[in-house]
Amino acid sequence: MSSKSKPLPDLPPRPRNWMPLWLGLCLIILHWISNDLEFSVASVVLNIHHIGEYLSRYTSPDFSELPKYLLLMGETLAIAFWGTLITFILSIILAPLAAKNLSPHPILYRISRELLNLWRAIPDVILALIFVSALGLGPFPGVLALGIHMAGVLGKFFADSMERVEPGIYQTLQSTGASLTQIIAFAAIPSIFQEIIGYTLYTFDRNVRMATVLGLVGAGGIGVELEKKMGFFQYERSAAILIVILFSIILIDYLSAFIRRIFN
Amino acid sequence: MKVLTWRFPTKNGLPSLSILLLLGAVISILLLTAPVVEINLGRLWLSLGKLFQFLLNWLTIPDWAYLPKLAAKLLETVQIAIFATFLSLFFSIPVGILAANNTTPHPLIYHLSRNLMSFIRALPELVWALVFVSALGMGALPGVMALTFVTTGFLGKLVAESLEVVDIKAISGVQATGANWLQILLFAIFPQALPDLIATLLYVLDHNIRAATILGIVGAGGIGFDLVESIRLFNYSRLMLIILAIYLLVNIFDRCSDMIRDRII
Repeated sequence: MSSKSKPLPDLPPRPRNWMPLWLGLCLIILHWISNDLEFSVASVVLNIHHIGEYLSRYTSPDFSELPKYLLLMGETLAIAFWGTLITFILSIILAPLAAKNLSPHPILYRISRELLNLWRAIPDVILALIFVSALGLGPFPGVLALGIHMAGVLGKFFADSMERVEPGIYQTLQSTGASLTQIIAFAAIPSIFQEIIGYTLYTFDRNVRMATVLGLVGAGGIGVELEKKMGFFQYERSAAILIVILFSIILIDYLSAFIRRIFN
Repeated sequence: MKVLTWRFPTKNGLPSLSILLLLGAVISILLLTAPVVEINLGRLWLSLGKLFQFLLNWLTIPDWAYLPKLAAKLLETVQIAIFATFLSLFFSIPVGILAANNTTPHPLIYHLSRNLMSFIRALPELVWALVFVSALGMGALPGVMALTFVTTGFLGKLVAESLEVVDIKAISGVQATGANWLQILLFAIFPQALPDLIATLLYVLDHNIRAATILGIVGAGGIGFDLVESIRLFNYSRLMLIILAIYLLVNIFDRCSDMIRDRII
């Protein structure tokens, strides 16, 4: 009995369950907000048959102006397409400057990151509103708005992907004495080619969706027509426009899924 | 010495047919649609000057008296976004459970809920807001409903996807104790999916904040209404405050959610 058995070390403290606290906090916030917004569950539940009645007005779409809608939808797609082009050009130029491991100077890195943040932070509809009041009505301000807002998003995606590339790939090119543009062209872009395709298609998908609503602020596309019809309570025609929008968006989704499959 | 070699890693050194075809299609579509969107270099140059002139107008004294109202509107915007996020979380967890292929009660329900969600997601929230505004009248309520509607379609899909990637071993472990459907969900699937779920939720909140700032354009509450009004009235001293406030709001939420996401994942 030479050694007294050492007492076991103290158990670690029992993990605290924070869930009730968080849930309670959420409920308090929700209660406060619903009070502020004058939102009441009772009124929604009581008026559910009104909603049903209202939605039934959309059930007989009137396709008598279909060619016009299709033309406008074509304009919408054109806006999205050109917006994507502007986005792509801006972001492929800015992305290497905003990638930490490629940027030629820390100050340049900060500036380009902040520029991307600025573009990303202002919603595209607001940009469209600004461009429309500066340049006048028409699809062109819409193209600019989409292009610039999404360049903030896409540029960040590209820059982040370029930062994730294995450093060895860049070092290999650096050791051969390659210049910055050569590193970008032969190491950075080929390494993230898949991601470039994927994100660009995502941008296009999103631009098509946003282009349909840009018309609400006068920036061209089918949104102008939709707002007009809604404003005059022409539910049958609005329903037709909504169906045209829906089908084109679904079509574009399938198309981009197809292109993605080609490159994978 | 050749500086640039334009050889592609294929047999004949040319890019593959699919790339060439795609490139050709893209360029021809761009050229065909250029007149539709009124793009030409002259216009581009002219508009630069116009834009610059327009931005010069912003250099006025801000309308400080407007600040309290601005703060109230911003608060309403944030409230709309947060409320819609909570509501859509509330709806999307059951929808997501129905739409994940490892938790769905029946394959038919799986397809039905997936299709319903992609239908909801297909139309942007401003279009839904337009529909709800014309049904319920102006105010924050149609805005909340439109955002809830769209983000439920979005969040439901993401919830379903994060449920689908959970480890099967934990499920069979809990199943072995004789747990029922709900217990498996609560003790095997949700704990695994939680970090993913929180990241998604933050993303959705971020998205909703942005969306809430523009809902007012169609009269669905928030700061957007004041924005449109001040642009239409050329009230630059308010306009610049509003734009600055939106920029700060979006940026602050962006950074906060980035920070939280980094800590969780």
